[in-house]
Amino acid sequence: MASQTPAVVMDNGTGYSKLGFAGNDSPSFVFPTAIASKAPAGGAGGSGSGRPAVANKPSFLTGGAGPGGHLHAKRGTEDLDFFIGDEALSAAAGPGYGIHYPIRHGQIDNWDLMERFWSNSIFKYLRVEPEDHHFLLTEPPMNPPENRENTAEIMFESFNCAGLYIAVQAVLALAASWTSSKVHDRSLTGTVIDSGAGVTHVIPVAEGYVIGSSIKSVPIAGRDITNFVQSLLRDRGEPDSSLQTAERIKEEFCYVSPDIVKEFSRYDREPDYFKKHTVNHPNGKSVQVDVGYERFLAPEIFFNPEIYSSDFLTPLPNIVDTVIQSSPIDVRRGLYKNIVLSGGSTLYKDFGRRLQRDIRHLVDARIKASEARSGGAKSGGLDVQVITHKRQRHGPWFGGSLLGQTPEFKSYCHTKAEYDEIGPSIVRRFALLGGPGST
Amino acid sequence: MLLLDYQNVLIESLLRERFQGGAPTSIDQVVSDFDGVTFHISTPESKTKILVSIHVKCYAELVQYGAQAVLEREYGPYIVAPESGYDFSVQVDLENLPEDQEGKEDLVRRISLLKRNAMAAPFEQAFDEFLHLQEEASKYTSESAPQGVKEGGEVCAIHYREEEAIYIKASYDRVTVIFSTVFREETDRIFGKVFLQEFVDARRRAIQNAPQVMFRNDPPLELQGIPGVDTSGSADIGYITFVLFPRHLTKQRREEVISHIQTFRDYFHYHIKASKAYIHSRMRKRTADFLQVLRRARPEAEEKERKTASGRTFKVQS
Repeated sequence: MASQTPAVVMDNGTGYSKLGFAGNDSPSFVFPTAIASKAPAGGAGGSGSGRPAVANKPSFLTGGAGPGGHLHAKRGTEDLDFFIGDEALSAAAGPGYGIHYPIRHGQIDNWDLMERFWSNSIFKYLRVEPEDHHFLLTEPPMNPPENRENTAEIMFESFNCAGLYIAVQAVLALAASWTSSKVHDRSLTGTVIDSGAGVTHVIPVAEGYVIGSSIKSVPIAGRDITNFVQSLLRDRGEPDSSLQTAERIKEEFCYVSPDIVKEFSRYDREPDYFKKHTVNHPNGKSVQVDVGYERFLAPEIFFNPEIYSSDFLTPLPNIVDTVIQSSPIDVRRGLYKNIVLSGGSTLYKDFGRRLQRDIRHLVDARIKASEARSGGAKSGGLDVQVITHKRQRHGPWFGGSLLGQTPEFKSYCHTKAEYDEIGPSIVRRFALLGGPGST
Repeated sequence: MLLLDYQNVLIESLLRERFQGGAPTSIDQVVSDFDGVTFHISTPESKTKILVSIHVKCYAELVQYGAQAVLEREYGPYIVAPESGYDFSVQVDLENLPEDQEGKEDLVRRISLLKRNAMAAPFEQAFDEFLHLQEEASKYTSESAPQGVKEGGEVCAIHYREEEAIYIKASYDRVTVIFSTVFREETDRIFGKVFLQEFVDARRRAIQNAPQVMFRNDPPLELQGIPGVDTSGSADIGYITFVLFPRHLTKQRREEVISHIQTFRDYFHYHIKASKAYIHSRMRKRTADFLQVLRRARPEAEEKERKTASGRTFKVQS
């Protein structure tokens, strides 16, 4: 049966989980990776996190009286009393439920909660029998192999899923860029700029393998842009400067300008650039918020971080350049030629164009300098290309959907039978999906 | 979550959003549901016309048991010619919705229950047959009843999964629903057995009104002579029999009973998996506890004679 059904693609990120079936162009469900359960948030919820709850005696010596001994007292169906996603957020707003985020910094932090999160995603939202489907899960770059093994244990032993493939998010984001008209050869070499809500990563990938030593992350991402917009609104004394309003303004009005000085003067000459945003309050009232320079200033913090933060000052183009320069020399050309954007914070208009121009400036300046030093030698030049495409927002998910629908996907999966034969260590290695040799 | 939902959450949320005035955009999604059911939600003609198609593996059998009539009753004016590759399609036009909020909600609910309604036909047929037989039987005493009435109706078989099927048989005093289920995994089989034992015991202990549940590995008597029934009695296959009594078959209860019993297989497998998840969390907890004990149990540092590289020892001067 598993041979005909579409594969399930699950991309569990720190902020949001994207769930759906391979072959579709957007995930069926996108909701926060949050789980609300009866136990209070934090505190003794750390069982299984590798950091046991602090008790004077282990709980089985005290007869289950210690903190976290609550597990033993559970005899009914309390373990099924929880919510995930948006329902979790609304349940946690009421009494009785505490909210947990099982994924921290891209990595699964609490396996108990994650197992239940998956169980509910599969049975309540996707509504599939895991025995009938293959699963494609994602992991962050540099995920320890132990985490992969734990994931496999849960997927195979709890859910008996038919087959499992775990792919690196950055590689899937590269695959997603194949839909762009600018991409001619389907290579898995390129630099991925993945900017979500919490953090921005720059990840070089060569032939489908992540160059771990060169990854750099930038502590500026979507949330910072929202905060920056909010602070600008507050400074001006707008009638509504809540975080939600700032977020709406960010999503609706912001774009990247080629030059801020010119942009400022253009705004001053043509007042058409100033917009108005109407906020409708739930009580029926509505207020107007002016939208001004933040339209281009907010995304500018990627290129000139000093306008927002005082401790992180390297612009994104420089980071990308450093990352590529620290990668092995024989892949650098490929990395410059295929810079792929992924994640919600890369969706600003002209973001890719500005990035491409700035990186090209850096590269050209360096080539010029070395030409001057060599005394007369001419460089052939270097091609810098930033790829923007329509599926950027859920890039890794879409890449997974693209690869998951290929006929050979199922042969790349490890099956339940193979897992039973070899054990969890089988998932330490996966054949590279979409790499050379496959269509 | 104790019980599984009957409706498809994606269809429900998608339609609800659109009906409440969400901007019309084009949709094209192929999604699965339990038991190999596939839905295709699309907007083929214009962005305001949403087409929902369903593919059920055993649709031919369902039609035989009167699915067409049930679906026509539920979806009447919304039915369109089935999309190629699918068995049944309904289309809603966002510009032509029921006026009031309640009507919209009802439409959302009905469309999201597409799978449930398609599968409901054989149950409805059996329940009707039961009512008919009951009436017939009331004319006779138990001894003098003619053959057809005493034995009850034919067994309806629905092969809704590759190796598993639902059998429904109506008789004059009850409706029997038999699930055949396959366990590939040793662990699942054991969990399943414990679980089913609970079903049997629950009735004995507290809930007398529940339908009678029986579990066995060889096919029950009702299924004798039915083609395609595995009679080998292997431990992989289990037969779960529900006996629905007249009190479950009243008009008011009917809808609910059909919904419940349909999801039984998925409910059963969901709970087996959820129990495993629960046991895993206890195992992790216990391992963490033991590790803590091990960390504390460090051997005391022994006094060792310390030597220099050349083999001389330090003597403590007294």
